[in-house]
Amino acid sequence: MIKSIWELFNKEDLFECYQCARCTGSCPAAMAMNSYGPREILLRCLNLGQEAVIGDERVWYCTTCNVCEDRCPQEINIPELLTAIFNLAAQRGNLPEKIKFGVDMIAKTGRSLIVNDKVLKERQKLSLPALDPLNIDEIEGILKKTGLNEIIELS
Amino acid sequence: MTPKKVLRKEKEEPRIGVYVCHCGLNIGGVVDCAQVAEFAASLPGVVLSKHNLYTCSEPGQELIKVDIRESRLNRVVVASCTPRLHEPTFRAACQEAGLNPYLFEMANIREHCSWVHLHDKEEATEKAKDLVRMAVARSRLLAAQETFTVPVTRKALVIGGGVAGIQAALDLADSGYKVYLVEKEPSIGGRMAQIDKTFPTMDCSICILAPKMSEAGRHPNIELLTLSEIETVEGYVGNFTVQVRRKARYVTPSCTACGDCAKVCPQVAPDEFNAGLSMRRAIYMSFAQAVPSTYQIDMDLCLNKHGIVACDKCFQACQRQCIEYSQKDLILTLDVGTIIVATGVDVYDPTPLTEFGYRKFPNVITSLEFERLINAGGPSGGNLIRPSDQKIPKTVAFLQCIGSRSKRSNIYCSNICCMNTIKDVLLIKEHWPETKIMVFYIDIRAFGKGFEDLFQRARREGVSFIRGIPGEIIEDPTTHNLTLIGEDTLLSQLYRYDVDMAILSVGIEPRKDSPVIQRLLNLSCASDGFFLEAHPKLRPVDTPTGGIFLAGCAEGPKDIKDSVTQACASASRANILMSQGQVTVEAITAVVDETLCQGCGMCVKVCPYSAIRQDPETQIVQVTQASCAGCGTCVAECPFSALSQRHFTDQQIFAQIDAITEEAPETKAVAFCCNWCSYAGADFAGVSRMQYPAPIRIIRTMCSGRISGEFMEYAFRRGAAAVLVSGCHIGDCHYINANHQTEKRVKRLWKKMERLGLDRNRLQLAWISAAEGNLFAKKMKEMDEIIAGVSPEEIEKTKKSLVPKKKGKEESTE
Repeated sequence: MIKSIWELFNKEDLFECYQCARCTGSCPAAMAMNSYGPREILLRCLNLGQEAVIGDERVWYCTTCNVCEDRCPQEINIPELLTAIFNLAAQRGNLPEKIKFGVDMIAKTGRSLIVNDKVLKERQKLSLPALDPLNIDEIEGILKKTGLNEIIELS
Repeated sequence: MTPKKVLRKEKEEPRIGVYVCHCGLNIGGVVDCAQVAEFAASLPGVVLSKHNLYTCSEPGQELIKVDIRESRLNRVVVASCTPRLHEPTFRAACQEAGLNPYLFEMANIREHCSWVHLHDKEEATEKAKDLVRMAVARSRLLAAQETFTVPVTRKALVIGGGVAGIQAALDLADSGYKVYLVEKEPSIGGRMAQIDKTFPTMDCSICILAPKMSEAGRHPNIELLTLSEIETVEGYVGNFTVQVRRKARYVTPSCTACGDCAKVCPQVAPDEFNAGLSMRRAIYMSFAQAVPSTYQIDMDLCLNKHGIVACDKCFQACQRQCIEYSQKDLILTLDVGTIIVATGVDVYDPTPLTEFGYRKFPNVITSLEFERLINAGGPSGGNLIRPSDQKIPKTVAFLQCIGSRSKRSNIYCSNICCMNTIKDVLLIKEHWPETKIMVFYIDIRAFGKGFEDLFQRARREGVSFIRGIPGEIIEDPTTHNLTLIGEDTLLSQLYRYDVDMAILSVGIEPRKDSPVIQRLLNLSCASDGFFLEAHPKLRPVDTPTGGIFLAGCAEGPKDIKDSVTQACASASRANILMSQGQVTVEAITAVVDETLCQGCGMCVKVCPYSAIRQDPETQIVQVTQASCAGCGTCVAECPFSALSQRHFTDQQIFAQIDAITEEAPETKAVAFCCNWCSYAGADFAGVSRMQYPAPIRIIRTMCSGRISGEFMEYAFRRGAAAVLVSGCHIGDCHYINANHQTEKRVKRLWKKMERLGLDRNRLQLAWISAAEGNLFAKKMKEMDEIIAGVSPEEIEKTKKSLVPKKKGKEESTE
C-alpha cells in the first residue's frame, strides 16, 4: 500500500519541467479529450500536490502511449507519473466506472472485450479460429497480489 | 641551460604562522574557525595562529606582513579558499615582506570543506583541522625557490576569422604586433557574413562587417592565411611553434574576381554559404564581399581532381592566367608568443527532431536558411519564398528553443535565438506588413541593451506570441501547407494553426572539429563542449594554459556585440604578455641528483615534453629547465629517487599523507588530485555547493602523473581505508599524455593487491574534468560507501602485506 505517488515517482524529476507543452501538443488522448493534457497534470502535481489529481477522472484518459516522454526535452518519464497516479487513485477506490468494467471483464473472462455469439459468428465468417474460454487462475492471482480484487467489487 | 639545484637555506627551524579565514560566513558559518586556529597553534613548528574575517583583504594581508617581520615567520599557512584563487595574492604579500613566495602554503577549507559540508558543522570543523594539519606538515618541508623568466615572441596567432578573430587580429595588429590570422574557409567573415541584419539596431550585417574584413585583409601587420588549418602546436607560453597547412587554392592572388571562370565551369554543388539553398560551381567565390577577393577551386568537385587535366574551361576563360591546377598544399611554420582561439560555432541541425519534419517538409526551414532567403545577396534576392512553390508566405510560424534547453540536444540556452527571431519577424513585417506571424515560445529572453524595446516593437506590430511549443507539425502533401498542433499553456487550450511556412529557431553548438583544436592546444572543455575559461568571472578570456586566450562563441554562445567585446579583451590580454616581452615560469620543474642517477632512462621515456636528455657516455640524465612543464611524471617514475620536483617533493607528499592518517585513518580516504582537472572539479563542486560526505582528504599535485605507486601504498600502510587517484580524462591531460602513466601505475597496484589477496576496490581511479563537479561529488559518495565497507582486519592485513620494496625509502617524516 502506498501513501503518496512520490513513493513510485521521483518528485525531483518534475522540477525540471519548464512547461513547454510539447507533451500535450503530442498527446493523442488530449486530441480526443480536450479537457485532458499531461502538462497540466504535471503542473498540478507540482504546485497543488497529489490530492489535486488523485480524484481527477481526466487522468484516466492517458493510455501510456509514451509519445510525451519521447518528445519531452527534459526526458521526464510522464507515463510513469501517470502510472503512479493510477495506482494511488485505484487504491483509494477512485476508479471510473468504465475502467472498473474493463477490470471486471478481464477478471471474469481473461479478455477485455465481450465475446458473445455474434462475435463468434463474425469470426467464423472470416475463418478465424473460435475463442475458447481462457484459464483465469493466473489473472486471479495477479488481482489478489495487487489487491485490485478488494478495491473493485467484482461481480 | 644547466639544471638548477634545489635551493637550500641553512637548516633553520620552521617558524610557521597560521591564518584561518572566516571568509565572512562562507567558512565561519560552518567551520568553527577559532577552534581550528587553536588546534593549529598546537602543531609542531607553529609559532602563531590567528583567525580573521577576511584574510585576503588589505588589513588581512598587512597582518601577515607585519607578523613575518615582527615574529620572524619563515613559513606562512593560510586556511581559506582554493589556492587556484588566492595563492598568487598571498604569495605576493609574503614576497613583499621579504619571504620567498614558495614558503607559503594554503589549506582549502572553503571549496573542499565548508561549502560541501554545509549541514554538518562538527565534521566540517574536524576536516578543516586535518586540512590545516596537512598544510602545516607540508609547509615545514617547503624550500625557497627561484623562478626564472623566458622571453615572449612578439607575434600572435589568431585561429578563426569570424568577427571575433578579425577584431582580435586588428587590435593586436594596430598595437604593432605581427598577427597570423588563420581561417579554415576560403574567406574570412564567419557566421556574421551569412546573417542579413543584426539585433537590436537592425544594422545590415555585411555592411558593418565588410569594412573590417577588408581592413584585416590589407593591414601591413596581418598575414591572412585562408583555407588553412593548424596541424601541430608545440612549446609553451611566449614560445609556441605552430605548423599550419595552407591548402592549395589553385587560383593565384592575381585573380580580379571577374567571374569569367565560374560561368564556364560544368560542375555544380550546393552552396555552403547559402546553407545549401542555391548552387555554386567547382570554381567559385563564397560571397561577393569575400576577403581575399579571390576565386578558388573545390578540387573534390573539379573534373581535374585526379591530377589529370580533363577539363580546362576555366583556364581558357581566365584572361589573367591565374589558374594553376598543379598547386600543392604548403606547410608553414610560425613562431608566436600568444594564441587567440576564435573558432566559432556550428548551427544545430534539427533533423533528429522528426516531429517537426525538417528535411521532410520543404516549407520547414531553419533560422539560418531564413537569413539567406531574406538577404538581398541570397539565392532569392531577398524575397522570403516557400521552397515548395517559390510563393511568398502569408502566414509564418517561428518555433523557439529548437536544439536548445533540452537533454535531447543541447542543455544550455543558445542565447541569441530569441532576439534573432524578434529581429526576423520585424524584417518580415518591414517587407510584407500583411503577413500573419506567430512565435511559439517557452520564455522570451530579451535581457540586453535595447532588446526589450525591440521585443515591444514586435508586439506592437501585431505579431502573436504563443506560449507553448507545438508537439508536432503535419503537412498537406498536395499544397505543402503546414499544420502546427500544440497547446497554448496560457489558455490551457489545444491549438491547430495552419501556416504556409515554419521557421525553426535553431540553437548553436560547439564546432564539430573543436576537439581537434582542444587536443592541439591542451584546452579544457565544459560539459557542453565549449572551451573552458581559466575563471568564469575574473579571467573570462584566459585559458588555463598560459599564453592562450579565447574569443567569441568558442567559449560559449554569444551575440556579435559580446563576441567583439571578448575579442578586444583577449587581444588586450595577449598584448600584456607581448609588451612585457618576458614571462615568469613557476619554479616547479624537475631536478636531478646526479649522484643517485643510475642512467636507466625510465624518466626519458615518460617525459611528455622530451625535456630530459641522457648523457651518451655516462647515461646520467639532465632536465632542460625551459622545456620542463613541471608535471612530475619523471619523478614518480624514477626507481632511484634521483629526480625530485621542486615544490612538490616526495617528502612533502609523504608528510601530507602522514598528517591525514595521524588520527583515525580507518575512517578516511586519501585522494590525489591534479591541479587542472580533478582538483578544479572538486573546487567546482564546492562553488556549486554540492553536498558530499566528509571523510575525503585531498592532496594536490600539478599532474596525476606525479603520483607514484609508492604514495598509494604508503597511504594504505598508514592505515587509510581507501585511496583515490584522480586526474584529467585520458586525452585531456594538461601535460599531453602524462596521465597514461597514472593509469599504468594504478593498474599495477591493483594487480599487486589482487595477488596479495587484498580488496582492490579500495584503490579507486577516476577521471574528473574541471567542469564535472557533480561527478566529483558522486565519486565522494562512492568513496564513503567503500570506506564504510572496509573491515579493521582488512586494514591490518594491508598494512602487513604491502611492505616497501626497497629499504631506505623515506618511510616516515616524523
